[in-house]
Amino acid sequence: MTERSHSGLRPSRIAIHAVLILAALVYLIPLFIMLITSFKTPMDIRTGNLMALPSEWTTLGWSKAWSEACTGVQCDGIRGYFWNSFKMTVPAVLISTLLGAFNGYVLSKWKFRGSDLFFGMLLFGCFVPFQVVLLPMAATLGKLGLANTTSGLVLVHVVYGVAFTTLFFRNYYVAIPDALVKAARLDGAGFFTIFFRILLPMSTPIFMVSLIWQFTQIWNDFLFGVVFASGDSQPITVALNNLVNTSTGVKEYNVDMAAAMIAALPTLVVYIVAGKYFIRGLTAGSIKG
Amino acid sequence: MSQLELRGIRKTYPGIAEETLKGIDIDIASGEFLILVGPSGCGKSTLLNTIAGLESITDGAIVLDGQDISTMEPKDRDIAMVFQSYALYPTMTVRENIAFGLKIRGLPKADIDREVARVADLLQISHLLDKKPSQLSGGQQQRVAMGRALARRPRIYLFDEPLSNLDAKLRVEMRTEIKKLHQRLGTTIVYVTHDQIEAMTLADRIAVLKDGELQQLGTPKEVYDTPANLFVAGFMGSPAMSFVPVTVARGERGPEAEVRGEDGRSLTLPLPDYLADRVGQRVILGIRPEHITQPQAQKQDSRLVATGAFTIEVTEPTGPDVIALIHLNDTPVHCRIDPEHPVTWGESAELMFDMKKVVFFDPETEQRIAPH
Repeated sequence: MTERSHSGLRPSRIAIHAVLILAALVYLIPLFIMLITSFKTPMDIRTGNLMALPSEWTTLGWSKAWSEACTGVQCDGIRGYFWNSFKMTVPAVLISTLLGAFNGYVLSKWKFRGSDLFFGMLLFGCFVPFQVVLLPMAATLGKLGLANTTSGLVLVHVVYGVAFTTLFFRNYYVAIPDALVKAARLDGAGFFTIFFRILLPMSTPIFMVSLIWQFTQIWNDFLFGVVFASGDSQPITVALNNLVNTSTGVKEYNVDMAAAMIAALPTLVVYIVAGKYFIRGLTAGSIKG
Repeated sequence: MSQLELRGIRKTYPGIAEETLKGIDIDIASGEFLILVGPSGCGKSTLLNTIAGLESITDGAIVLDGQDISTMEPKDRDIAMVFQSYALYPTMTVRENIAFGLKIRGLPKADIDREVARVADLLQISHLLDKKPSQLSGGQQQRVAMGRALARRPRIYLFDEPLSNLDAKLRVEMRTEIKKLHQRLGTTIVYVTHDQIEAMTLADRIAVLKDGELQQLGTPKEVYDTPANLFVAGFMGSPAMSFVPVTVARGERGPEAEVRGEDGRSLTLPLPDYLADRVGQRVILGIRPEHITQPQAQKQDSRLVATGAFTIEVTEPTGPDVIALIHLNDTPVHCRIDPEHPVTWGESAELMFDMKKVVFFDPETEQRIAPH
């Protein structure tokens, strides 16, 4: 301990900290500007300095973004789209995570002939660019009658996310000793009992990883949203784009910034709430001997 | 109390040419403590897993109390197993761990509570019932794992190297405890270990396996005193039996063989009479450390005892004995000497060879030459 506190005073330490603090500031400046701009009056924005604090604090931008701003022809704000995003993200995250957990369980504890090959091919799903699946997916959604619906978007995100969630859970479960499954089998537990009673309760860290990852991916997705949803079912990312691009007279930067903040808040909250599990879950496999 | 028959068990893994189990036949009597022992990779754990139903067999039959259970699901076999890693469910308390199998079998809560209490009492873990496995020491986890097996009152208990994760002192304690438990409950146990001392101390009978083949099946005394072949002889016993190649000669009072020490001095060892028809042939003399000691007057009048001086190369005091290393016919040989009879390394010492329990092997077949 004493050695560590000594090394804390060394110039190299100071240099490292200085660089890290500088990097953090560089990353925080856009957020800072967004935040203060969202609380400024339009007048303040036009006349004042970009970095200056508002001369007069107002939540006008926030309330307008929430319920009055125009996204294209409609002028109901982004609140409807905010809930759209929730209706899309929450089921998509939960379904893809549960499917991933289940896949991971089978691929690690009930290996079948060719299961490793299957897993290897599934991993390709992680590297398929969004653009590649747009047309076939559009055709599929059309055939299923899910085009332009939130359910359709949920399906798209579940299909796309399962590759990642399976990877997470499979690698997590591989590190859990097989003897646990054997013991449960001898205790009389079946396939599903072992999953729900033994493995799933042990999965909190990797569950959090999957949750954060999927939530961020799905909430922030723009491409699928803009392609597979229209009008009332659009997610907030698309609405934000429409809001910013709708030009009726003067550009209301405070409203744009507030809308962007609203769109970004949920992922931020999820990360703050569950973030400690994220690192823990990602490193869990490596710590276990 | 159940009786288990293994009939010609064969196991081949897909993609592996060599059979993992090459036809194992063992009858395990009701209440018997059978130990499967062998080096790693000999198939002992595989055999245990096939009994449990965790792995299928390619050929043969597993018969429990007259019923062929070879194709039954593990849960229907009524067999419990204790694992090397304990395999306790980490998210459950000790109580829940022990009760899990009972709950799944749909026992009423009152019965489960009574059973958990009985087992906890038996294993002295009552005070740990509300703890999680991660809060327990290795020895306590071991007890809980045994408790989980005991709670179901299965027909057969399987132990897969249950003590190998414990430190040496605790291992000896738990060994005694398992033996006591077996004597008290009279259960049928199949126990896998690679530790030959565990096998000797615990077993009613030992099955020695190597490369998927049963080498010998017998009581600890049989396996120790009359090993079937060179492998069994070398595997059981610590320090191991020494193997000295000798040529059988005809002596005045029966067959004999000459051994030469490192310094060129030689000694003629008397051999048992059943080797008379091997005169002129090479045999391998298997001698355990305790057969070479300091001279003991009360034993010397036997024809099968000889005394000679050899150079001691290394001495290893173990407390009750001193293990001394000599060379006979260019082969290292261990001797077990009373510490009250000091020997010094590098110096010559009088050693007494008691040939009554020495065994002999055919160098070609590696099988023991049986008295006839």
